[in-house]
Amino acid sequence: MPAFDYKQAADIRNALKRHGVRHLFIGKSGAVLLGFPDTTQDADLFVDKDQANGRALVVALAELGFRLTPDQAGEIERGKDFIQLKNGPFDLDLVFAPDGIERFADAWERRVEIEGFLVCHPDDIILSKEAANREKDRESLPRLRAFRDYWKQHQGKDNPH
Amino acid sequence: MTDSTSREWLEEFEAAAQRPLKTRLDYSFIKTYKPVMDDAEFRSFETMEDYRRWCEEELPRWLGYARL
Repeated sequence: MPAFDYKQAADIRNALKRHGVRHLFIGKSGAVLLGFPDTTQDADLFVDKDQANGRALVVALAELGFRLTPDQAGEIERGKDFIQLKNGPFDLDLVFAPDGIERFADAWERRVEIEGFLVCHPDDIILSKEAANREKDRESLPRLRAFRDYWKQHQGKDNPH
Repeated sequence: MTDSTSREWLEEFEAAAQRPLKTRLDYSFIKTYKPVMDDAEFRSFETMEDYRRWCEEELPRWLGYARL
């Protein structure tokens, strides 16, 4: 499978927008959208855990080409905390309860919008990585924090959506 | 973080800010095979704790998914 690219990110953005799915890009893919110069493998979406939102997401995913069984669709609708999809045109992680972020509504209030992409605020991306406390994040967190500071200086505001 | 690291990172952030979003995305994603992780088409976990524990018990340590 080829690496994720702009077109696929735009396909997600457009399909989720068409179906009114409340979501935010999170993780390093979110940071890259904000301008963080680094590499990553997958796209991660923080999705509002709400059954109607989950149903809309299942429709959008089918439209994008993900092949979901009825059971898998049910798990997405229900909003299990973490779902890994490798049965579509690209790999996608769905996170309904990221570490370090109490409620979707809080992250939504702080969201950043870039060319129509809805992205977690860098503070939230960092909070979730700090709370996950994984070995793979240990080296990238100091640079991500430095990027957050740079980003804030150049945005000139904390909540620019 | 040393002064030279800080300066180097700042230069990287500034260079990235000059690139269009499409270029940033097209060059930021890489695909390499991750043993175990990439061997199933669908996985789901009731809680994040279940997922973190699965990563620690099932994935090779060198992938870096274990908690510190």
